Amino acid sequence: MDPLRAQQLAAELEVDMMADMYNRMTQACHRKCVPPHYKEAELSKGESICLDRCVAKYLEVHERMGKKLTELSLQDEELLKRMQQSTGTA
Amino acid sequence: VPGVPGTEQPLPQLKDFLLVYNRMTELCFRHCVSNLNYRLLTGQEERCLEGCAGKLVHANHRLVRAYVGTMPSILQRRAQQLQEPPPAASTDPPAASGPGE
Repeated sequence: MDPLRAQQLAAELEVDMMADMYNRMTQACHRKCVPPHYKEAELSKGESICLDRCVAKYLEVHERMGKKLTELSLQDEELLKRMQQSTGTA
Repeated sequence: VPGVPGTEQPLPQLKDFLLVYNRMTELCFRHCVSNLNYRLLTGQEERCLEGCAGKLVHANHRLVRAYVGTMPSILQRRAQQLQEPPPAASTDPPAASGPGE
């Protein structure tokens, strides 16, 4: 695969993963901030502020996880290679 | 579809990595972040996240190691079972041609 194609695919993948992250975030924040009473359609002020903060925190967590994962994933590479060798040739 | 050229997912490793990343974020967020009175993470939340991230990554390492250790023998056994002659048939007529003949 030529590098440009690989780069394009990686970019598409990143978009997909951002969408996935977004879905998880909305689900998590809804769970944390909107109690399932549903007495009225409008968001209360508390719920609104909670959602704002929740998004801010979720994105912060996402960034930290990224750093931590990159830091530790250098060890992952070795394991992945071994996994491919043992299952790919079976 | 694995094994069929043209339908294989490109960059499977990258996709797996990114999925793990998103799952980790979700899991650790749900478990560690409870104080939504502030926009910034509290000290307690930060410590929890640190532990959660490390724990998940090390758990993943362990799982991979266990998988790598166990899977080959399972695959080998499966391959052997496929090569063995099938058990004696009932009153059904024999198949016209078997695989590998």
